[in-house]
Amino acid sequence: MKFGIFAAALLAAPLGFGATAHAEDTLVPLHWQSQGTFGSYDQAALQRGFLVYQTVCASCHSASAVHYRDLTALGLTTEQVADLIANIKQDNQPVTLNSRLIGALPKAQAAATFGGAIPPDLSNMVAARPKGVAYVYHLLTGYQPAPADVTLMAKHYYNAAYPGNQIAMPAPLTDNAVTYADGTKATTAQEASDVAAFLSWVSDPNLDARRQIGLRAVIFLIFLTLLAIATKRKIWRDVG
Amino acid sequence: MADLEVGAEINEVETLVRRDFLKILTVSAGAVALGATVWPFINALNPTADDLAIANPIIEVGAIAPNSAVRVMWNGQPIYIRKLTPQQIADNLAVVASSLPDPADFTSRVKPGYESFVVVVGLNTGIPCELLGNSPTDARGPVDGWTCPCDGSIYDPLGRVRSGPAPNNLAIPRFSFLNATQIQLG
Amino acid sequence: MSDQTKTWLGSRLPIAHNIGNQLSRKPLAANQPYLAALGMLITATLLFLVLSGVVLSAYYVAAEHRAFQSIQLIMRDVNDGWLIRSFHATGTTMLFAAVYLAIFRALVTGSYRLPGELVWSLKLVFLLLMLLVGYLGYAMQDSAVSYWSLHGVVQTGAGLASFPANIFNWVFGGPAGPGTLTRLAVMHGLLTFIALGVLALHYFAKQAITPPAEKTVPLHPYYTSHHFVAAGVYVLLFAVLVFFAPHLGENPLNQAPANPLLVPAVTTPPWYLLPATALTHALPGTNGGIIAFIAAFAVLFGMPWLDRSAPGARPGFLYKLLVVVLALDVIALCLVAAAGPSTINAVLTIVFIGWYFLHFLVLTPLATARELN
Repeated sequence: MKFGIFAAALLAAPLGFGATAHAEDTLVPLHWQSQGTFGSYDQAALQRGFLVYQTVCASCHSASAVHYRDLTALGLTTEQVADLIANIKQDNQPVTLNSRLIGALPKAQAAATFGGAIPPDLSNMVAARPKGVAYVYHLLTGYQPAPADVTLMAKHYYNAAYPGNQIAMPAPLTDNAVTYADGTKATTAQEASDVAAFLSWVSDPNLDARRQIGLRAVIFLIFLTLLAIATKRKIWRDVG
Repeated sequence: MADLEVGAEINEVETLVRRDFLKILTVSAGAVALGATVWPFINALNPTADDLAIANPIIEVGAIAPNSAVRVMWNGQPIYIRKLTPQQIADNLAVVASSLPDPADFTSRVKPGYESFVVVVGLNTGIPCELLGNSPTDARGPVDGWTCPCDGSIYDPLGRVRSGPAPNNLAIPRFSFLNATQIQLG
Repeated sequence: MSDQTKTWLGSRLPIAHNIGNQLSRKPLAANQPYLAALGMLITATLLFLVLSGVVLSAYYVAAEHRAFQSIQLIMRDVNDGWLIRSFHATGTTMLFAAVYLAIFRALVTGSYRLPGELVWSLKLVFLLLMLLVGYLGYAMQDSAVSYWSLHGVVQTGAGLASFPANIFNWVFGGPAGPGTLTRLAVMHGLLTFIALGVLALHYFAKQAITPPAEKTVPLHPYYTSHHFVAAGVYVLLFAVLVFFAPHLGENPLNQAPANPLLVPAVTTPPWYLLPATALTHALPGTNGGIIAFIAAFAVLFGMPWLDRSAPGARPGFLYKLLVVVLALDVIALCLVAAAGPSTINAVLTIVFIGWYFLHFLVLTPLATARELN
């Protein structure tokens, strides 16, 4: 299956990003900026996560609910996105801004490669798992040698975070699988953290807008409710 | 709104004015909240990003070879995008528009600055058949344009009718050039 | 409105003018609590759900394997579509919270007692309709959990004795097939409008039995401003949930598409359906669930007669305490249902459902018989 990863790595090699700042350390303690009530996405992490997604994950997985045009939400201009996807091909055709994020490997071929397991679509992977963003991180970093009392099924690998511990996906990430344009050190853990951030954006692209509008709406409604209480008290004063 | 009687006590008037101000403020704030809630309902019925992408497709024209045309389907109609050769441009600039069955001069058939591209609906204006002539090897007729396989009408490379039962020039769809190699329909 | 406009409207459309005048001058008891706004809030929420539902229906595709995709389109590509869907989902949460609260309040205050039996029955009919509409809306999402839930329900329907099976077939259209989701969407809308009718009947029935108050104030401006405060707090809570907890109490798998090959281990429905889920899992056998469900509603409908208090008596402390214990019992039952099937949970379900029936059939008659005015 390595041919897919190498092919994608070649395609993704010219991907470049504008951001230059180093990433803050989100690994110790492990956290993501979008967590918490008022958290928002870390766009630099999302851009790094897309690089990992496109270089590694997209060889087999799709995220078909998302279009390349949607990537402007990662803090890129339409022109930057157009440059970014210039070398990406689906079925030997260059993708356009309106293309969906489809995996490079046809489903039947993927199933044959992975012993019948079809790589799932990642559009809602983070939302559809409890504590999804951390789950994706722990899954990607959870590959271990199988304990002595575990007999692995054919074409399966031992993973501490996966339910049942036997997963058909071989460990996808390695140190320096990608080269980050912002100079962040591409350790396996960093790549897993970034791609988890990217996939949480894929699952919930409206989080930033929702929280921004929400904060304003709630503040205004508190103001409105206080006004309503004052008006009611004035009107009812003579009733007693 | 308050009914002020003549001779009301000053403090009573003040109370009424203050209540009125508070009431107006509260009702206005409620109206703002209502308006802000209604807006997404209206906006949700505007065309989606997907609809707009389908309605106004972007087409690559940089790869079209001179003297040939590509065919794309749009709104259920075949759109022909043809790249002219310098010879075809010169020939058609020389044609006197008033001598044609449906007079139209060169500039009315192309976009200024992109004179080598002709974009037309590839349907005969007589019997609605799809025209031949996109490839140099097709039957193109005496003026090197398009011909109709059904009624024999003849069009020039600008899509102007030259002869045949067809009465009108080929229709030109709404489109614009985004840059030298991309056009957007609609 | 200016006086000139009022005169003009009065001459051109007297009915609107008269209704408006009568309503705004309507005398109401001067000492109502804020919870008296519940009926108004429930009606407004249901209308809000109709409005957001109409917008969603412009994009929703009621077909197996395409319904989920169309919801993804709403969430991602429709302008403000995520907000409209969140309004619809959170509106449902708010509506059920208000309905459960109204029923709890009716039990505590004893408003179901004669002559309130019809008002009380209409409340229960409304709850039944909302449970059905809520379930249909959940099943319409065609998600990894709702797909299997729907198949379970339809199979249950197929195995039932003829009377409830007739209702099942009328609503679900028989075994799940290509047209099932279309059917669900039609029923989801139709039953909502029937529920609006039930709300209207409830309003008029309640008017008929409200005794004249000693001290009254006109509806406007007194209760308009009073209800404005209740609505402000309610909408504030609504907004907090819409923007900061849009998936409150939702099974994460509800955000994954249906997989006809894989039954999920835990098929927890939305929180507001949990009481019904708990009841349908209570007894073994195909008919067991439906019997428990019918029995649970039968005792609720029977409350006006299970209550042995003297006419005009106010509920006593012991009875009120029992109602609070009952509420905790139902919450515990829901938590057990949410946790999924296991041996201990099966036992707990029986215990909590046992207490529920004990409350209505034994404790209520005993506790209320002591209230002799």
